Amino acid sequence: MSAHRAQPEESQRDEATLQHARVRELVAAFADGELVREESREVEEHLRTCAGCRRELALQQDIARALSREPTPGASVSLRRRIGWVGEPERSPSRRWSWSWATAAAAMVAAIFAGTLAVMHPGVPDRAPGEIPLLRDALADCSRVMGRNFPRKADLAALSASVPFPVRTLVQPDAELFSTWKTTLAGAPAAGLAYRWRGIVVVQYAMATEMIGREPEVARALSGGGFYTAVHSAQSVVAVLEGGSATVVIAETSPEQLRRLIL
Amino acid sequence: MKEEAKRASFQTTTLPYLNRLVALASRWGDGQEAEDYVQETYARAWMAFHQLRDPASAFPWLCKILRTVANERRRTVARRRDLVFITELENAHEELVASDQPSPLEQYLSRLEAGSLRKALQSIPEDLAEAVELHDLHGLKYREIAQVTSVPIGTVMSRISRGRQLLAGLLKREDEAEAPAFRRAE
Repeated sequence: MSAHRAQPEESQRDEATLQHARVRELVAAFADGELVREESREVEEHLRTCAGCRRELALQQDIARALSREPTPGASVSLRRRIGWVGEPERSPSRRWSWSWATAAAAMVAAIFAGTLAVMHPGVPDRAPGEIPLLRDALADCSRVMGRNFPRKADLAALSASVPFPVRTLVQPDAELFSTWKTTLAGAPAAGLAYRWRGIVVVQYAMATEMIGREPEVARALSGGGFYTAVHSAQSVVAVLEGGSATVVIAETSPEQLRRLIL
Repeated sequence: MKEEAKRASFQTTTLPYLNRLVALASRWGDGQEAEDYVQETYARAWMAFHQLRDPASAFPWLCKILRTVANERRRTVARRRDLVFITELENAHEELVASDQPSPLEQYLSRLEAGSLRKALQSIPEDLAEAVELHDLHGLKYREIAQVTSVPIGTVMSRISRGRQLLAGLLKREDEAEAPAFRRAE
């Protein structure tokens, strides 16, 4: 009789053990938001009663967060120049390619864009972003704070109180604000904010709306409620007017991705 | 004129990823070697640009080309400098999960110097390190990593999970041993 009673208990224990093992396999994907709704629900339910899996979740999140903050090397000026030649018809036999480049180069062509390429949305800008004082200062400030690995504080309340315009943060839930600072762009106060977003750093500058009016190309692009979009070296620059202030966002991603982040 | 338009489209689509590709290339080579891989990647990407259907997929597409270039060119696979015993790391990870701390890694991570965790990826198996790096450092989605590495998405899931577990085990082990693999910030 007792053997008969033990069977369902054993079976329940086996099932719980199997579920625990299965959930443990899914915890990393759960932390990364990669599970379908049904699987997420199963993990959430299991986490309520399993301290071990909760610790595993914390561990997975901590490692992912710590890695996303790690500094990474960037392209040298020389590489940027060489990449800039891709697709351009070859002009000079004296141009030097490195080992792996030489064979491809013969078949390819050379010499294009000279550092800055701007793409307006809508329309075409008259000046490249590096020549527009407001954006030139924003790019320089961005480069400066990145070089110093960003101010080590993220105090949105203090930053908002220190500038005479509203500071709106980016709304995407996976954009993590990790640094704030006050700066000056084209002679006027601006608020700087840095986020980690999908493995990259996104820098946002908020400023008074009238700042945009001083730059004809940017103002024209924004006049119909649209975006100003440009690419400067490896960085995309997007400007938009929203919530009583102007916002300029800079990151090493495509302009389309950056616009999505702002929306 | 048509060629000009193609070049402009190529630049707008690929150039924003230049720094991220150099960062990724640094897992296979240092300095000039990494930049050579990236340069070759752009050359091949230009020639195959007509095959890129969706500009939003440009980064994983470039990653896949870079990975092929690096695998072809690498003279040695001995970049796993400090490969350590897996079972030892697995045990250390299990101890962390069995501890009574809600965030068992907090104390170890707070003492790390910038760059040391990324460097520690060299101490775990290549396929696990690659998946973790593509996701956590370079922001690729699981689906994109599956495309880049040509493995099923379930394998990506398992590699990321296991890779982070081994890194966690490594953190604990190094902290206890006060070994130099993780240099601590003052």
